[in-house]
Amino acid sequence: MFRLEKYFPTSDKNVLASVLILIFLEVKMKFSLLNECRQSITEDDIYEAMKKIPGYLDITPSDSMELYRAAFDHAMSTLKNAIKADQVMTRKVITVSEDTALMEVVHKMADNEISGVPVLKEDGTVAGVISEKDFLKRMNDDKKPSFMRVVLQCLETKGCIAADFKNLTARDIMSSPAINISVQTPILEVADLMDKKNINRVPVVDNQSRLVGIIARSDLVQTLCSF
Amino acid sequence: MLFFQKMKGGGKRGPSRVGYSEIAWSWIGAFLGITPIAFISSCFFHNTDLVFIVGSFGASAVLIYGAVRSPLAQPRNLVGGHILSAFIGVLSYKLFYPFPWFAAAFAVATAIALMHATGTLHPPGGATALIAVIGGEKIHVLGFMYVLVPVTLGVAIMLLVALVVNNLAKNRRYPEYWY
Repeated sequence: MFRLEKYFPTSDKNVLASVLILIFLEVKMKFSLLNECRQSITEDDIYEAMKKIPGYLDITPSDSMELYRAAFDHAMSTLKNAIKADQVMTRKVITVSEDTALMEVVHKMADNEISGVPVLKEDGTVAGVISEKDFLKRMNDDKKPSFMRVVLQCLETKGCIAADFKNLTARDIMSSPAINISVQTPILEVADLMDKKNINRVPVVDNQSRLVGIIARSDLVQTLCSF
Repeated sequence: MLFFQKMKGGGKRGPSRVGYSEIAWSWIGAFLGITPIAFISSCFFHNTDLVFIVGSFGASAVLIYGAVRSPLAQPRNLVGGHILSAFIGVLSYKLFYPFPWFAAAFAVATAIALMHATGTLHPPGGATALIAVIGGEKIHVLGFMYVLVPVTLGVAIMLLVALVVNNLAKNRRYPEYWY
């Protein structure tokens, strides 16, 4: 299991807690908010904090603030690189191959209660990913496919729009090329990627581009909460 | 424009005033630190050609009894800064004594540079270097002896007192680091 203590060797629960909050902020709320957090410490806060420390501190409040901000940035960059993809990814990945019949893909996804599967080529590299979104796209022509659009279409035409799935294979509807990450990608970059590309899972590949795991959005959240 | 802008200062203010116990401990430390040196100086060195106390000790007292946490007040800086500066001061006088103004300026400037380079910056060191040049005949005749007595011996006594007194105070700890 992932242990935060391993990366931040301190027994101080408060320190760990604040580290956790920082990671959480980073993942959930993105940089703008974190930056606000960093900027929200004012010279007055520093001044009050300095008053709490007995003895004469040979540093001005404005220098202390500069120091605080530099340290904050350093901590953030450490955090960004501390946890790599292979520490949070799921290793047992349910996959399909390019030639798998779409019916079987649907079965696999339904039986395993997953919302997406990587599609592999014969050599084990990732050809693409199939997610619920790909089915939705297939089921209506709208540029912004959604479940409700499908329902609407279904009600209006009174026909089964999934009928033509029977003759298709995974290759036909997968999103490709796949957006992959390496085992060494820091998870905060992964979170960033998911946001930018608007995807919910991303395959993790080794040096030879072979699939070794997968990270879903929920894995990221779980990592942070399991601590 | 930036040049003048910089003169306005960036921050709002300096550090807050220290508490009363801090003031009291500073007073006690300085008093006990200067006492042995001044006492020995006036009782035993009064009628000799030797010197046991120099002005820069007063400056060191500000740091090691009044700003205990300062990097400038740590043993490495206190001892290293004084010894290096004393040496530079004597050397500067010996080399440039026909031009006292130059010897004085050279001594202080070089002392600062050397303290910076060795990570031993200690402001009173500048005074120690300067005194070696402008301290008068009594100092000049000491030659490099000036480095040992009064400087090193005096500093050692003050350091000893700082170790005892500062660690008696509940809110103090000295040193932050030795080296």
